[in-house]
Amino acid sequence: MTTEAKTHAIDISAMQRQNQTLRLEDETVALTVNDLELYYGDKRALHGVNMTIPKNRVTAFIGPSGCGKSTLLRCFNRMNDLVDSCQINGEIILDNQNIYERAVDVAELRRRVGMVFQKPNPFPKSIYENVAYGLRIQGVTKKRVIDETVEWALKSAALWDEVKDRLHESALGMSGGQQQRLVIARTIAVKPEVLLLDEPASALDPISTLKIEELIHELKKDFTIVIVTHNMQQAARVSDYTAFMYMGDLIEFGVTDTLFTNPAKKQTEDYITGRYG
Amino acid sequence: MNISFREWTKSGSPWVWLNAGAVAICIIMVIGLLALIAVRGLSHFWPADIMQANSTVNGSTTQLIGEVVQSEDVPTIQLREAGNDLPGDQEFMVRSLIKIGNRDVNRADFTWSIDYYLSDREYPEMLFAAERREWGNFYGYLRALKENGNVVGSYDGYDKTAEYEALWNDFENRVERALDIQEDIYQIEKHRIGAINYELERLRLKGRALELDGVTDQSRYDELENRRNELNAEYEGLQQELLDLYTLFNRDSYVAEVANGQQIEISLSKVVRIFRPNNMGFVEKIGHYFAKLWEFVSEDPREANTEGGIFPAIFGTVMMVILMSILVTPFGVVAAVYLREYAKQGFVTRLIRIAVNNLAGVPSIVYGVFGLGFFVYFLGGNIDDLFFPEAKPSPTFGTPGLMWASLTLALLTVPVVIVATEEGLSRIPRAVREGSLALGATKFETLWRVVLPMASPAMMTGVILAIARAAGEVAPLMLVGVVKLAPSLPLDGNYPYIHLDQKFMHLGFHIYDVGFQSPNVEAARPLVYATALLLVAVIALLNLSAIAIRNHLREKYKALEM
Repeated sequence: MTTEAKTHAIDISAMQRQNQTLRLEDETVALTVNDLELYYGDKRALHGVNMTIPKNRVTAFIGPSGCGKSTLLRCFNRMNDLVDSCQINGEIILDNQNIYERAVDVAELRRRVGMVFQKPNPFPKSIYENVAYGLRIQGVTKKRVIDETVEWALKSAALWDEVKDRLHESALGMSGGQQQRLVIARTIAVKPEVLLLDEPASALDPISTLKIEELIHELKKDFTIVIVTHNMQQAARVSDYTAFMYMGDLIEFGVTDTLFTNPAKKQTEDYITGRYG
Repeated sequence: MNISFREWTKSGSPWVWLNAGAVAICIIMVIGLLALIAVRGLSHFWPADIMQANSTVNGSTTQLIGEVVQSEDVPTIQLREAGNDLPGDQEFMVRSLIKIGNRDVNRADFTWSIDYYLSDREYPEMLFAAERREWGNFYGYLRALKENGNVVGSYDGYDKTAEYEALWNDFENRVERALDIQEDIYQIEKHRIGAINYELERLRLKGRALELDGVTDQSRYDELENRRNELNAEYEGLQQELLDLYTLFNRDSYVAEVANGQQIEISLSKVVRIFRPNNMGFVEKIGHYFAKLWEFVSEDPREANTEGGIFPAIFGTVMMVILMSILVTPFGVVAAVYLREYAKQGFVTRLIRIAVNNLAGVPSIVYGVFGLGFFVYFLGGNIDDLFFPEAKPSPTFGTPGLMWASLTLALLTVPVVIVATEEGLSRIPRAVREGSLALGATKFETLWRVVLPMASPAMMTGVILAIARAAGEVAPLMLVGVVKLAPSLPLDGNYPYIHLDQKFMHLGFHIYDVGFQSPNVEAARPLVYATALLLVAVIALLNLSAIAIRNHLREKYKALEM
């Protein structure tokens, strides 16, 4: 079975990773979250979260539905600004600057902190135009630059070989898995520093899921990746660090292997052994 | 089948039947409407046979020549009470409307006759009909042709002979020649002299503008004066050319015998077309029919709009609708974008939405009055003061015209565009907007590059509804720019080519005018149907093209399956 073989391959890489003996204290920090509280109207969705996201690593957020992991993720590029009743206290530091400061250009922030959503959301444009979109927004007009970047992004997203002959066909004609990889290509085309993935494989079939997971593994060389997932096996497979959240609180955050094999908190243990969630 | 009423009801069949019935009734009504106006309108162009008969009323006999237009059954009692001496053995009698033409001889070109009075009906092949530029159709027997008043050919009998055929051929050739000359005259009068007049008027306005600006430099006045003299010289030349053409044009005439035996002489310059329907084969009649139909859609109207074509009205309608669409689309879209995307959703936006929806229900004549008061008098008056002071006191934009009519209709239809666009905007999936924002696009860029293109089919739906409403509107147009007869099209070869200040003709108003304002009701009636059919066709065509554009857009921005 291909699935098993692939899983095995990833497990081997996980074992290699163990040899490096990751320690959060040794990592370069990409994002720092300080006392982050978030309210939807009167309802408090995040209760004072404190954490650091390490650079060029994959950090996974796990937890039961409604625990606030997606909400926290959307705080990193201020997607929650779009929700009218949302109010945020605390700070998130990116490059020594609080992204919730007034002076911050939200569009510029979102360029630096890209996001891929649960369901593939390509624009109703050609494959090429989808990937070029971010560049065009930034005012890049040189065709050569755009061509090169599109090719690089599609290659990085492991999509180039499948679409190189139909770059100018509509992106809506692709399969769900291809669309999601296209969305990833579109996001990395603007060369963000951080890549936020909000359950990127939850709407996909197992084969496509595996492709996405391999892709995440490849991409962490160049990007800091934060991924929200429902699937604990997935978190175990792809991430270096894992945060377990429950009811708006960050319960435990640490090296993935440690968190899964030897959780410090009772709640974490209950969740990963399947007692609830 | 033994099935209880309860089960039958439960099965849903009565419901299905009810729905199907409603649809069927709608379809029947629409098809019935179209069929009625099509039959009544299109049959008008068919060359009907010309009847000759003797009409004996109270002992005196007269001859009738004409086309039977319609026949109806009338109670004998009613006819008797109207003073007719009729036998009493029949309950109903047939009464026919006969188009006898020759309005210059008979005073009226239609007459009612009771079939009982008519005897010796015949359809002689030699009878001919001539369509004329004035006095309507002519029916009679060709007797002679004259050139400069001298007879060049004549024929006296009622039978078809070779001699007669030769005369008829000569007649046809001469009519052909007169029509060619007429075409030349038209070209000179309409285009060349028209262009000169137009430029002269512009020169006058330029001179007036110089005076108003207090320019004292005599050389600039001289410049205008020189050009004016050039134009006047050119005009004199054309005038001479025209005079020569008119002499040639009026050279020929024909003499024909009409129903009462009188001989009438008519100049060929008055004749548009001659034909002998009783002598025509079916194929010839079809040819004639399409020629008439083409004339109807491509020519200018004649004789107080009861003859000729309606091309200026078609042109005016289409042009006004296109202008209206160009004006209403940005208006409505921008308003909808603000309401849906930028405005804070609350009491005020809800109030505005209700107001917009109610605007769609305001009677159109109210918009007409508003257009006249605000656009024509206020806006137009101020534009004249600011930009066209030289033309005063005659108004340029301060008078009803194409632009104000289009604007008024744009105002009338802007609610449907707003509502449709808002609907479209609200259907764009949130995920796509977020996808764009997450790439560092601002809200404006997201709107401009992703949301608006995706909402464009909905905008087109709004425009389609707007077109459907605007093209059929008549009442407000009567106040803001439509006239019975416009001397020239709003689009022509004179700079600036498109004349937004001009009055124009419109199919809807044309129907009203021909149907209710015409001096010649009987002649006008079929044209009302034909024009109505054409209006429906024009609206359908405009809508179909808008729908084609929408389908194209839909295909391009196919909504995501989410």
